[in-house]
Amino acid sequence: MRARLLTVGRAIAFVALALVLCGAIFEAAGFSAPDMFSAIIDGAFLSDGALVHDLRWACPLFVSATGVVIAFRCGYFNVGTQGQFYLGGIGAAVAVAALRGVPDVLVMVAAIILGIVFGALWAFWPGWLRIRSGTDEVITTLMGNFIAGLLLVWVTSGPLKDPSGSGQVTASRPVPIGVRISTDTGVSPIIIGLTVAVGVLVWVLVNRTAFGVLGGLAGRNPVMVTWQGARLSRLGLGAFMLSGGTAGLAGAMEVLGPDGRLVSGFSPAHGFTAVLIALVANLSVSGSVIVALFFGGLASASLYLPVIAGLPSAAIDMVNAAIALFITSRAWPTRLPWLRARR
Amino acid sequence: MIDLIVAVLRTATPMIYVAMAGVLAQRAGIWNLGLEGLMITGACAGVVLTEQTGSVAAGLAGAVVFSVILSALLWLVIEKLRANPIIAGLGLTGLGLGGTDLAVQAIYGSEGAVTAPVGIPTLGPAFGAFGLLDALIVAMPVVVAALWVLLRRTRFGLRLSACGEHPFAARSVGADPARMRLVALLLGGVLAGLGGAELSLGGLQIFSVGMTAGRGFMAFAAVIFGAAHPVGATFAALFFALVEYMGIKAQLVFGERAPRDFVLMLPYLATILGIWISARLRGGVPLSSIEMRDG
Repeated sequence: MRARLLTVGRAIAFVALALVLCGAIFEAAGFSAPDMFSAIIDGAFLSDGALVHDLRWACPLFVSATGVVIAFRCGYFNVGTQGQFYLGGIGAAVAVAALRGVPDVLVMVAAIILGIVFGALWAFWPGWLRIRSGTDEVITTLMGNFIAGLLLVWVTSGPLKDPSGSGQVTASRPVPIGVRISTDTGVSPIIIGLTVAVGVLVWVLVNRTAFGVLGGLAGRNPVMVTWQGARLSRLGLGAFMLSGGTAGLAGAMEVLGPDGRLVSGFSPAHGFTAVLIALVANLSVSGSVIVALFFGGLASASLYLPVIAGLPSAAIDMVNAAIALFITSRAWPTRLPWLRARR
Repeated sequence: MIDLIVAVLRTATPMIYVAMAGVLAQRAGIWNLGLEGLMITGACAGVVLTEQTGSVAAGLAGAVVFSVILSALLWLVIEKLRANPIIAGLGLTGLGLGGTDLAVQAIYGSEGAVTAPVGIPTLGPAFGAFGLLDALIVAMPVVVAALWVLLRRTRFGLRLSACGEHPFAARSVGADPARMRLVALLLGGVLAGLGGAELSLGGLQIFSVGMTAGRGFMAFAAVIFGAAHPVGATFAALFFALVEYMGIKAQLVFGERAPRDFVLMLPYLATILGIWISARLRGGVPLSSIEMRDG
């Protein structure tokens, strides 16, 4: 219990440190830091309907974050969540476009499944390269994000283009109402149900199955796991594909839910934020729930800032980045003298 | 042919400078994924300060200063707070991308592109087709050679490599790995800032938000592909630039038949190919050494 409290305290301390750094940068850039932070808090938690917006962003972020938890626990730095998320969105949109005249419920299920499959496949090749030849997955998955972004541009401006769309942003045809899993608010029984189901499944997978336990060990001591007779390569590839699959599901949720169509360059900060959620939660599934609600709030604030408060939404990117900078620190506060004395 | 050489050099040089920063960090034992952030900071500071003061020298100086400050921050977080270098580096990249966006909006009130009135001086028409090459491109081979000498022929460079390869051994001969890494990152900050400035001030003299588009990460991949050797990384960056040039050329020749989005993917695909080859040739991250990267 004490160890857990310490972890929570540490996370809060580093988030606070990150906010201080951001405040200093806001001041240096000529913005008032108190104004900026109060606008962020307003947009995230206090304004009308903020909690619904919070949940709207938190659900897909949490789903992706559980995937990051799986991969990072196994020791694989799959930072390609953004690309896998885009591929999931593309998969869902392809299913919707291909299955015309099929009952709505079937289309919905097929779109979700195809989203998961596309996401998993986009994580498969970096996983394969990593496990077969030791190709560093950090670079391959990062490059995969850029390629997936361009693929999304091509899909929305080519094969799936909505001919009636305006020239500003390219997008696919709207998803038929019957196939949508939520209205534009993005909060519906289906979305909440999917999110909870993923949370429970991943929690069980990570904490109560051989895969999860061995994966957690593999992340810390792969040699030992090999000696115990586990197939490290199968474990790793499984972790990559599960992680891609969850990100793909999140992408499908966006397209079938609040977005209602496949938009070029949608949710550009999704992947990075999902990785952050998993790290702030110290790679725990249950912790990710609360952290996802916090970052969901920040995500909704990034829409609120420019429209209501007239402040640049890049401020939210800065807050996220600063948290990423500090969150993995291990030097403090475990080195505080009063803690050392009691150990 | 000359056109090809000039175009490839102009595309590759920003990446080469940034890759040299990566080589220094890699030798010192730090996986510097903050390069993308340093590069965009250099690009932004270069153009904004040149636009504000009208002097390219001020722009270059600003690019270097901001990039060095960010590098020092990265060192602090990795060495003193013992953060994971990969995540901290990605955080620094995010800070650079977000910070430049914020700065442009704070100064100009919109997210539009910023144009500098002057760029880095070029050789000029007297040199014919080579006249397009600017001072930093001409200096690039000298910088690469100097870095090679520094790393392989000086006491400092050899100690630096020792810090990366075997910190314990380095410490036993009196080198302080933490301090050596600080020097490597600060020196890298100078080079990455120049690389960023070359990207924005060298070509169109324009800065736009997110203009690096992964070039910093590609520079990092060039370090891996080039085995953390200055010359190797330079050739890796030249290869990536060549692929990019061939894509643009293909589009000019084939027009609509070479879809724009797929052509733009080519450099990223080349990067993946590059580090895959590198892993096959020299062995990549072994499956049994995952915990090593915990820093």
